[in-house]
Amino acid sequence: MSLMNYVYLAIVLFAIGAATVLVRRNAIIVFMGIELMLNAVNLAFVTFARMNGSLDGQAVALFVMVVAAAEVVVGLAIIMTIHRSRRSASVDDANLLKL
Amino acid sequence: MTTLPLSLPTAVAAADAAVAPAQGMAGVAWLLVALPLAGAALLLLVRRPLERVGPIIATVLSWGSFVVGAILLVEMIGRSPEARAQHLTLFSWLPVGTFSLDAGMLIDQLSVTFVLLITFVGSLIHVYSLGYMAHDPDRRKFFAFLNLFVAAMLLLVTADSYLLLYVGWEGVGLASYLLIGFWNWNPPYASAANKAFIANRIGDFGLGLAIMAMFATFGTVTITGVDRAAQAAGDQAGTMLTVIGFLLLLGACGKSAQFPLQSWLGDAMAGPTPVSALIHAATMVTAGVYLVVRAHPVYDHAPVAALAVTIVGAITLTMGAIIGCAKDDIKKALAASTMSQIGYMMLAAGLGPVGYAFAIFHLVTHGFFKAGMFLGAGSVMHGMGDRVDMRTFGGLSGKMKITWATFLCGWLAIIGFPFLSGFFSKDKIIEAAFVGEGWRPWVFGLTTMLVAGLTAFYMSRLFFMTFHGKRRWLEDDHPHESPASMTVPMIILAVGSVALGGVLQAGGFLDWLAPVTGGHAGAAHHEPVLPIPVITGGTLLLVALGVGLAWARYWRADVPVTAPAGSWLTRAAARDFYQDDVNHGLLVVPGNALVEAATLADDSGVDQGTDGVGRAVLGASTRLARLQNGFVRSYALTMLLGVVLVLAAVWMVQS
Amino acid sequence: MSPLALIGPPSATFTPSEVSYLSILPMLIVAGAALIGVLVEAFAPRAARFTAQFAVAMLGLLAAFAVIAMRAPAMIGVTLSGAVVVDGPALVFQGMVLLMGAAGLALMAERFGGRGPDAFTPSGSSVPGSQAEGLAERLGTTTEVFPLTMFALLGMMLFPASGDLLTMFVALEVLSMPLYVLTALARRRRLLSQEAALKYFLLGSFSSAFFLFGAALLYGYAGSLNLGEIGRAVGTVSGRGGLLAAGALLLFVGLLFKVGAVPFHSWTPDVYQGAPTPVTGFMAACTKVAAFGALLRLVYVGLAGSRWDWELVLWIVAGLTMVVGSVLSVSQTDIKRLLAYSSVAHAGFILVGLLAIDRAGIAAVTFYLASYGFATIAAFGIVLLVRARGSEATHISQWAGLGRRAPVLAAGMGLLLMGFAGIPLTSGFTAKFAVFAAAVAHAGAAGVVLTVIGVLSSAVTAYVYFRIVVLMFFSEPGGAPVDVLRPSAGGATAIGVGLLTTVVLGVFPAPLLALAASASQFLW
Repeated sequence: MSLMNYVYLAIVLFAIGAATVLVRRNAIIVFMGIELMLNAVNLAFVTFARMNGSLDGQAVALFVMVVAAAEVVVGLAIIMTIHRSRRSASVDDANLLKL
Repeated sequence: MTTLPLSLPTAVAAADAAVAPAQGMAGVAWLLVALPLAGAALLLLVRRPLERVGPIIATVLSWGSFVVGAILLVEMIGRSPEARAQHLTLFSWLPVGTFSLDAGMLIDQLSVTFVLLITFVGSLIHVYSLGYMAHDPDRRKFFAFLNLFVAAMLLLVTADSYLLLYVGWEGVGLASYLLIGFWNWNPPYASAANKAFIANRIGDFGLGLAIMAMFATFGTVTITGVDRAAQAAGDQAGTMLTVIGFLLLLGACGKSAQFPLQSWLGDAMAGPTPVSALIHAATMVTAGVYLVVRAHPVYDHAPVAALAVTIVGAITLTMGAIIGCAKDDIKKALAASTMSQIGYMMLAAGLGPVGYAFAIFHLVTHGFFKAGMFLGAGSVMHGMGDRVDMRTFGGLSGKMKITWATFLCGWLAIIGFPFLSGFFSKDKIIEAAFVGEGWRPWVFGLTTMLVAGLTAFYMSRLFFMTFHGKRRWLEDDHPHESPASMTVPMIILAVGSVALGGVLQAGGFLDWLAPVTGGHAGAAHHEPVLPIPVITGGTLLLVALGVGLAWARYWRADVPVTAPAGSWLTRAAARDFYQDDVNHGLLVVPGNALVEAATLADDSGVDQGTDGVGRAVLGASTRLARLQNGFVRSYALTMLLGVVLVLAAVWMVQS
Repeated sequence: MSPLALIGPPSATFTPSEVSYLSILPMLIVAGAALIGVLVEAFAPRAARFTAQFAVAMLGLLAAFAVIAMRAPAMIGVTLSGAVVVDGPALVFQGMVLLMGAAGLALMAERFGGRGPDAFTPSGSSVPGSQAEGLAERLGTTTEVFPLTMFALLGMMLFPASGDLLTMFVALEVLSMPLYVLTALARRRRLLSQEAALKYFLLGSFSSAFFLFGAALLYGYAGSLNLGEIGRAVGTVSGRGGLLAAGALLLFVGLLFKVGAVPFHSWTPDVYQGAPTPVTGFMAACTKVAAFGALLRLVYVGLAGSRWDWELVLWIVAGLTMVVGSVLSVSQTDIKRLLAYSSVAHAGFILVGLLAIDRAGIAAVTFYLASYGFATIAAFGIVLLVRARGSEATHISQWAGLGRRAPVLAAGMGLLLMGFAGIPLTSGFTAKFAVFAAAVAHAGAAGVVLTVIGVLSSAVTAYVYFRIVVLMFFSEPGGAPVDVLRPSAGGATAIGVGLLTTVVLGVFPAPLLALAASASQFLW
């Protein structure tokens, strides 16, 4: 099986993640979509590392996991405060700033 | 259209070297601008301690500038005519890549003439204001603005590039709004400042575009560089030069209150009278004439634009004179007269090499006698409880002798009484207007000649209604002469009104200007279509008629205290030929809409009338803003669409 | 050798990478100050916290700037195995970030006589209007903003100095995450603030994912994350052109999001409006500087060789950004939103200079950022001072007649707006002139077209700014009375610096232009 297939899989996962961001209303799920995109990128990095015969890509994957974890902390904190003050986690309800 | 390539970084800079670098005192010419600027900064920043002495400091600094200007003049006269122009580079202003523009000063005969006019009249008005504004709680601020104005005006006339000139141009605009709106947070005054603001913005827009067009066409914006490039390009660049000429004319019309942007000048009279004398008579309003004369190489090769200048001048000088006949407000009548006299100058400047020097000559003499008359009007108002309606004056000559005498000098000068200042300068313009071929000398010549008669009428009307005839004062009026700080400047200006024209004429002022204005000497070869004695005689006859008519109606006969209805012409003129109504549609409505658009939140307010382009932009803006609907998911969609489009573009390029 | 070689190529020898500590000293100082800030937050008594935090942060910034100012020539070099490249542009951008950061910090620390920073809620996690919030208000100091700002500044300093894409990604996240939190911390209008934070966070991470995906594609193309390696690979690696072009553009998406370019700008107005005003000023200035620094390095070092692949797209983006930013600012009624759209338009002008792909372009972009950054911090600082019933009077109608009530403040705002509009003798004029001149001289026909679009757009924005000036000086105040607060020395300095740079960089731009030109050589 060609390694390129893993890249295609990564692209598909990335697209699914992006679609999740667009179609889901719950901020947590939207955020999960973003996480999916990041992990799709990880897959791409690891595949390219394999293809290029260097380990840099695998190291990047580790970094991305750490960054994603940090992002979860910040993101959940923000979503939590919004949920507490609005009693809703829907991103469509946060709609005061416009035009 | 003759398209010159966009030759931006071409080395035109080398051509600028022709004007000699500054030597001697010219090296400190920057003091001209620096002194009043320092005064303005000082007075605005250090507040409490300068409440009392501030005005005096400002006055001294203004005189300081005059001294520097006088020294420059003496030095300049000492040099040979060809070597009189000097260029002083101050610092490297915009070194951007290969293009480099220095901030510098061009000290030549033209700029020194203006420097002396501005600093001398300006300083006198500083002195006058010491008396006139003595009781104003905000006089520190007033003098700071006056100093700021003088600095900006000096920068305007000494700038060595059109860009720096533009800086001064905006500066005088700013200072004049501050001064017009000075007293006055009450609506009519603020609205006057507003109107001046909008009319001037239109003019400034023209000047800005002109500078951009110069940059795009010639790759330089220095005055000498543009001169050289315009002369070198000659008629090849005719279309571009015509465009530039029209844009400069638009700028000049805004600043100099020429048709069709003239209406703000009358309203600007709401400001303190010394301001009217300084800004709206002697200096700022003449900046348009300066601009046209400064850019004469452009007009030399753009005859259509030059003709437009002449026509604008002719229309304005006629309109101003007719409006002047109908105004009862002494300051507004003087403003109309200013408009008309500047029309004379513009007309002269549009006539080409024949007229440039005459335009400047008249500008200088007019600066003196008009400033003097404005100060006289201020003195009258001072004595009459700040009223301006001439119908309630009359017979003041007995009570205010000095004011009467100085005003008499100004009056005689402006109507062109033989051997006074105006006689020399205005007659030259009338003669020059008669030079040429075809219909032009007849139209322009006869216009200037007839309006000279009209000028005599309305100025005499003003003079007689104020100082002679029956006393029509209100009951509690106690007219009295003004203090010395006010009368002394008036006396000095009156002396200038009487003698300056003759002195300059005898001193060879016109030949002195020739190296800058180009070929005044050539004017000798052009004969007017009528013999000169006939022109002079005819003008004097018309002037005598005008004075006589005014004497019959406004001195001998009783002047009704309330204005009669008058003919349709009087009514139209009294309303500035409905210019306000026209402008209400053209300037004020969009202006108010501009303010309203700023104030109102709702869509209806935003959609309210602005003119075409404005409405289109606003419409596009509101429509585009609907994309900003507040939904984070739709923002993400916009971004994703962007990404997809970008990638699609790549795919197209790649395959 | 890449830093990641630490993780071990099969050969068992371990080679520690060379570290030039002097080169990264400013970043170390800022990181140290941030960490000390965390400790102060944990251990210092409540009463002393504000003073301690402010002192630590400000001293850290000034010390870091002093190092750059005094030792810049000796600092230049590639260090940490190529992960960090300290060169002329990097140092200039770090210096700008530090100074603007200090100005922003001074505004954040503005207390108006209260106990804690005025703009920030004492308890970000509490429900607005709840008892918990009231309790926090009574106890309250809000000093966690200082270490957060310092961490963001650390990321901003690393961003333009990153030598490989991984460092760039980490820097991007380090600078973004504290900003997400800071955005949520407004004291008044907290729902707006929280909503802004949510939007900023979601869209920011969304764009980070694109950036990362672009990095992956470029890694796949070049076999390295190092920008210099990628630059060398362009043209030598064949058959993977699609990876290069797509990767480059996805990276641009991530960075264009940060600078607020159309069509990745939609977060800008909402976040600028909702965030606490000093944070908005800080973000508008420093984020833009850092992101343009990174964008410059990416374009000039990594991707210049493949410019044919992406140039057209960026030209279109630059043109769209100028047009959309200026047109949308016309219908705005909220001053912070208006400044946000104006920042979008400014991003477009800066992009025009960047696309010159020449050293003149680098110098022009640097100059533009310096003039815009200080001015925009000052503008938001002035917005912070104008109050109606305690909270900021951001609706434009509330600014009517401000010239009468507070002439100095209104004149200052007028000056800044004239600078934004690009009136001669202000820094904005010189900056616009520099970017357009660079584009016309080096970007051919596209440069001319973009310049024409740019001049027209600036005419539109000039209308918008004049509208406010007219409103402040020539119209009657209406509605509820507006108060103008008196800033403390720090806040006044931050605003004063913005006013001063607007004038000084307009009248005497030559020294900074010369500095920017001399420091426009990238290393890799």
